[in-house]
Amino acid sequence: MIAILSSFGCKKYLDYKPQGALSVSDLTTPTAVDGLATAAYAGIANDWWDAPITSNWEWGSIRSDDAYKGGGDIGDQGQLDRYEQFYLVEPANNGFGDFGFPGAWIRAYAAISRCNVALRSLDALTDAQFPKRKIRIGEMRFLRGHMYFLLKVLFRNIPWFDETVSNDDILKVSNTMSNDSLWLHIEGDFQEAINDLPPTQPGEPGRANQLSAKAYLAKALLYHAYTQDANYNVTGVDANKLAQVVSLTNDVINSGIYSLNTDYAYNFLDGHDNGPESIFAIQYSINDGTAIGGRLSMSTSLNYFAGAPQYGCCAFHIPSQNLVNAFKTDANGVPEFDHFNDVGTEMKDSLDFLTNGVDPRIDHTVGIQGHPFKYNAAIPYDHSWERLSGLYGGFGTMKELQLATCPCFKKLGPFYGTSVNMDVIRYDDVLLMQAEAQIQLGNPLAALPLINQVRARAANVSPLVKKGDGTYPSNYRIQTYKPGVNIPAWDQATAFKALQWERRLEFAMEGYRFFDLVRWGLADVTMNNYFSIEKVRHPFLLNAQFTKSKHEYFPVPQEQIVFTNGLYTQNKGY
Amino acid sequence: MLLLAGFSYAQQKIITGQVVRNSTREPLQGVTVVSKTRSVTTDSAGRFSIAVSPGEMLILSFVGMNNLSIKVEASTTNLNLAMLEGINDLNQVVVTGYKSEKKIDLTGAVSVVNLAAIKDVPTTSPMLALQGQVPGLYISADGSPTGSNGAPPTILVRGVNTLGNTNPLYIIDGVPTTRYEDFSNLSVGAIASIQVLKDASASSIYGSRASNGVIIVTTKDGSGAGEKLRITLNSSLTWQTERPWQEKALSSEDRGRALWRAAVNDSTDPNNLVNQIYTYDWNNSFANPVLNKVNIAPFVGGNQLEPVGNTNWQDELYKTALVTSNDVGIASGNAKSGMFMDFGYLDNNGLLQYTDFQRYNARINSHTSGFNGRLKIGENLQLSRTSQVGAAKDPGGALTPTLALILAPTIPLRKTDGTFGGPIGPGYTDRNNPVDIQYLNRWNTTTRLQAYGNIFAELEVIKRLVVRTSFGFDYADSSGKFITQIGDEGPVNSFNSLTQQEAKEFTFTWTNTINYNLELGKHRLNLLGGIESVHDDYSVVGASTTNFALQQLTYFQLGAGSGSQTTSGGATGYRLLSQFGKAFYGYGDKYLASFTIRRDGSSRFGTNNPYGVFPAGTVGWRINNEEFFRNVHAVSNLKLRAGYGVVGNQAIGNLSAYSLFQANYGTSNPAYPQWLNTGTAYDLTGINTGSLPSGFVQVQLGNPNLKWETTKETNIGLDFGFMDESLTGSFDWFHRNTSDILIQPPIAGAVGEGQQQWLNGASIRNQGWEFVLSYQNTTGGRLHYTITGNVSHFANVITQLPEDVRSAYPGDPNHSIIGHSQYSIFGYKADGIYQNQQEVANHAAQPGAGPGRIRYVDLNGDGKVDVLDQTFLGTTLPKVIFGLRLSADYKNFDVSLFGSGVGGVTVYDPTKGFNTTVAANTNSGPGVFNAWTPQNTHSSIPALTILNLNNEGRTSNYYFVNGSFFKLRNAMIGYNLPKGIANKAAMQGLRIYVAGQNLFAIKSGKMTSKDPERTSYNSWPVPTSYTVGLNANF
Repeated sequence: MIAILSSFGCKKYLDYKPQGALSVSDLTTPTAVDGLATAAYAGIANDWWDAPITSNWEWGSIRSDDAYKGGGDIGDQGQLDRYEQFYLVEPANNGFGDFGFPGAWIRAYAAISRCNVALRSLDALTDAQFPKRKIRIGEMRFLRGHMYFLLKVLFRNIPWFDETVSNDDILKVSNTMSNDSLWLHIEGDFQEAINDLPPTQPGEPGRANQLSAKAYLAKALLYHAYTQDANYNVTGVDANKLAQVVSLTNDVINSGIYSLNTDYAYNFLDGHDNGPESIFAIQYSINDGTAIGGRLSMSTSLNYFAGAPQYGCCAFHIPSQNLVNAFKTDANGVPEFDHFNDVGTEMKDSLDFLTNGVDPRIDHTVGIQGHPFKYNAAIPYDHSWERLSGLYGGFGTMKELQLATCPCFKKLGPFYGTSVNMDVIRYDDVLLMQAEAQIQLGNPLAALPLINQVRARAANVSPLVKKGDGTYPSNYRIQTYKPGVNIPAWDQATAFKALQWERRLEFAMEGYRFFDLVRWGLADVTMNNYFSIEKVRHPFLLNAQFTKSKHEYFPVPQEQIVFTNGLYTQNKGY
Repeated sequence: MLLLAGFSYAQQKIITGQVVRNSTREPLQGVTVVSKTRSVTTDSAGRFSIAVSPGEMLILSFVGMNNLSIKVEASTTNLNLAMLEGINDLNQVVVTGYKSEKKIDLTGAVSVVNLAAIKDVPTTSPMLALQGQVPGLYISADGSPTGSNGAPPTILVRGVNTLGNTNPLYIIDGVPTTRYEDFSNLSVGAIASIQVLKDASASSIYGSRASNGVIIVTTKDGSGAGEKLRITLNSSLTWQTERPWQEKALSSEDRGRALWRAAVNDSTDPNNLVNQIYTYDWNNSFANPVLNKVNIAPFVGGNQLEPVGNTNWQDELYKTALVTSNDVGIASGNAKSGMFMDFGYLDNNGLLQYTDFQRYNARINSHTSGFNGRLKIGENLQLSRTSQVGAAKDPGGALTPTLALILAPTIPLRKTDGTFGGPIGPGYTDRNNPVDIQYLNRWNTTTRLQAYGNIFAELEVIKRLVVRTSFGFDYADSSGKFITQIGDEGPVNSFNSLTQQEAKEFTFTWTNTINYNLELGKHRLNLLGGIESVHDDYSVVGASTTNFALQQLTYFQLGAGSGSQTTSGGATGYRLLSQFGKAFYGYGDKYLASFTIRRDGSSRFGTNNPYGVFPAGTVGWRINNEEFFRNVHAVSNLKLRAGYGVVGNQAIGNLSAYSLFQANYGTSNPAYPQWLNTGTAYDLTGINTGSLPSGFVQVQLGNPNLKWETTKETNIGLDFGFMDESLTGSFDWFHRNTSDILIQPPIAGAVGEGQQQWLNGASIRNQGWEFVLSYQNTTGGRLHYTITGNVSHFANVITQLPEDVRSAYPGDPNHSIIGHSQYSIFGYKADGIYQNQQEVANHAAQPGAGPGRIRYVDLNGDGKVDVLDQTFLGTTLPKVIFGLRLSADYKNFDVSLFGSGVGGVTVYDPTKGFNTTVAANTNSGPGVFNAWTPQNTHSSIPALTILNLNNEGRTSNYYFVNGSFFKLRNAMIGYNLPKGIANKAAMQGLRIYVAGQNLFAIKSGKMTSKDPERTSYNSWPVPTSYTVGLNANF
């Protein structure tokens, strides 16, 4: 008894060793460190629709002239309604918690922290201990660059730091670094990745490689090349950076590893993950042993249809009338640049797509009454799938969705996920990046074959869009640009207009549009012109207003300013 | 002298009698019966005989009972006496902390629960029956069997002193636990006493876990039961219905009319709103709209099998529940040994369709003594098993009680093929048929097995020095089965799955005390010292399989699924090591003083501060025993108490002090919605399926300096009794400061994932008072009645909170939470409805304003209504709670009425929202037809709108209203069968009773919900219930 009692006094009694967890000191073996790198890949894909960091539909599509929020009514995911209408965006995100941009900030930095944790452990190893050490370092810097890029285009003024900065010191890093320096740091990560990475990663297409780093560096340089003043006006283009864009994209184009898919549809279909056009993609998987049945594309899971029996919810991300009209082509098979959106000429009913000429990509992008939905003639798109036709009715989104019969598809109650990858950079983007750089460098003729390569693939109409009777649902009328034939002259202005149009159609509903507009300095004019006509078509846009020199970027989330005791400077206008 | 005695003795005669407990008619053994010259005690049958002279008074006393005085008349030969449970019996012995003391000696704020008041209240837990009964104890529960849909109700002792867990500490037969089920699974019939230690000076002896209050329970041990076996049977049947509290929802046609009005108000075409359900024949005039006819599409979503209905979902989801409760207690005992057994069975077959709750419990307490009573050994053991199917969430996360209100009435319960109907097509929500959800959930049972108790030995080493050792154990096994099925209506899953999870927790508490008692003349001294160790281990394993070929209960076994399989599991635990001491000193019957100290070590804290010291001291002055008070006969008791004490709180995770990395293959963090991709696995090889490479991620940053949360409390109290304790009461005032509150502040996003750290960072001040007053009287006609009222007040404010944490609480940079409760509501002030464009123009700029819209006050006067115009609107935790109990008995009848309520509370009124807004996808209440229109001005309900451009769902005092109420919780009438009849059935006594619960509510005029306690449609409605029951003694 006394012996037992005396054991009471032993200090060891209070020792309790955590179970099933590791401490930093446990994470020094190459295997464990490689696990930290794997976790960093998972980090760039850990999201759902409340604040996506994978799909940009909430940031780049519904904030542009491409799409409406959709859903039940304007209060359904009300934060998105605020972003769509711009004038209601507030730093405090009142009432919506971390939903929306505050959550994206947190998730992107969470992913960055995984990269930095892995980099610290990788730095502590030697190449002898871990032969792939250098490659992993390159990958981590690539992923970090990817996340900083997202933060940069969302918020513009962000705190930038690398793995050498401690937690305490991170809380001293403000967001006042210059626009130029921020871009240089982001580009620095991609440059280092290029130096460290092999040209390909055999058997592991989910990893970054040298070419994906080159493509991403080109993308960052293209954004950086448009010099912005403090009011977000584009004041010029940096020829040196554009030349680098040309050189880097040439490396990708000439590598012989990547090319356009023969069919545009393959970019949006199961069975074509990591195909020739996919340069870097978020890898999704199904029936992989994770709790909900897979690491599925939950960032776009609201975008299926409420009324369709095979789905059941939620009808978000609705193509705008303006976007649908943009697919209209003239008698020569080129876009109706100036009159596409004229009131009274809208393409709304099924017949309109036969009486007008349209770009074939519309039937890959927009659900239209009676047209095969997602390449399935058996169940055509129907207005009854729409949730609230009085507010958001007319069309449905398609690219990010899959058929309910797809083995890649999983229905999780009212929400849906698929294992189809989400491309971050595609080959068509690389072609158009180079085209844009050439145009801005004053070489529009060099851009012409690149744009035409994209158009030619689009013109090679996919047999997958055919109706059950073998006919095409729309009157496809598309030509490559032939200066002097179907387009007056291929000067710099015309070429740039054609490039803008090409990007809009090629990447419609994929979340590129708003960032393109801001890069070009055209966001305010484009959006306010759009609202002036679109609000008549859809009264919910009645108060929508884009304020120049403010709404090009989200505010720094108010809570982040609070958490750092006012360290961050709020963005202009907020 | 001898002669005199002899003379008086000559006048005496022997009378006999029997004493029973008035409430149950069970015989009372051990009652002291005192005459002028003699003192005897009753036997196991409650019988006594005593020699008395006519005209003499007999005084009967018994612990827990009011003293009874009877004048012996010349004709008296046999007395049948019934004693009443005393609500303020000063000689009652109560357990207050490793020892017992007389109530009269208490110097801290301790409430002794009147068990008679909760005995026959038909609830699944004694805690639910305590609602409103104890001053300072706040209990908030919904209508589910457990009080909060499978989870414990909210239980607060003296409000809230922390930002974290507020569960009190339970001490059951000396064994500490924070597990609510250990208390809730007790049969009321097995409980000997319940004490609530409210202030720090009383609870400080329990140290580190006492800051949320301590509830001490002692169960019966057979002592005093008598050598003959005593059996008591308590049975009841209860019917529960939610109908009296049901809120009205719109019919199919009325919902169409409301949507039409909303579309017209928005100047949008009503025939384009949800035209797959409703089309309208109207005059197409927005200026002067007239609706001729609502056309409802004949089929839901065009499905020929699903003809449109007119469903009252509440009627379909709720049914009359039948609650069966049976409890048998068996007791036997003498001065040396005692035994008590109790078996209980309770079944609640579910207020919601396909739900149920079942409980079996058994208790075996026994003790014996030897070595001339110097050694006492014994054990207490409680075994219980509960199984429950509760309210379910649909796959989108909505609870069925909410769905029963918001789901559109046009959806039929069933399709024509007999399968459940559900929302499909435009105009419907992405939620499900609640009856189907409950049906699909009907096998999802959570079963809990628990064993709780201790083995103890007490040895009187030398006279007055007792050492005691107790091995306490608390074992809980919780196993859940969660089946997801492929349904046939609305948004359901495209696969089925089975998840099974089993969690085990074993807590071992070893307590050793040494106790010394000394009485020297007027000096009374008691010294106690002790050590205690707590050793807790928890582990959980889970497994899940998908793809079952058959959807039937017998087939849902983990091995039968053909799809992917996942497993999960983990383990955690904690250790506590404590030393404590207590000294009590009493001088005469006037002056009382007590001092306690405890030192606790916990494995939950950092290596730098594992120990905390918690001292307390109290003094008491029994004024009525002072010489100068002797002549004040009206005052039978007057005691002033004062105390100061320190208590702690360690209610954080077991591993909060550590930096941790974990592999997380992809098991969703329960804190996140299930759809969030989390984890460390990734498909690097692009194979799309199968097992993935995985890694590690940091989940928490350590803090070696983590230490206790500390509460310092001052308590001043006054106990009083007048007119021989006919009128009794007490008043307590307290003031608490809690500092070093454990918080896990959010950090800057830039620092990244898993970098959150537990800190000691905030302070809260809490103060209040409690007042209880009781009057009892027996009238000439043998009518005995008691009226007891209690009222208490508590209010807490945050006095210190790091800047970076504040955004997690109500307020804004200009209105800090400092100085307000964490339960504050922060929002806009509504100021009526704009009647015309002129009023809009005259008011501050308010985006979305217009005639018929809510006007919000421009609080900062800057000419515009924006986020800076918010203010504190009140708190959701009431400032005042009160209860009133009236009981009376007359001859064989007894009645009791009990009600309780709250005041000073601001709550969300869900019914107001339901009756003022329309939504394109969900239903509303009939109040929407009173909404403002240009033709119906002066309405307080804003014009119906779908666009809601004025953002009227914002937090404002339009929806957050005064939620004060008083509810009649229980009314009971009982009848004791005449003894002769009971005896014929071999019974000592039989009482039958009928009772009703939750009979009516009186509420603030601002609150439109019928049930003022239902502040969210997510919670189960609190039903009205009717009970018949019996108490029998054999």
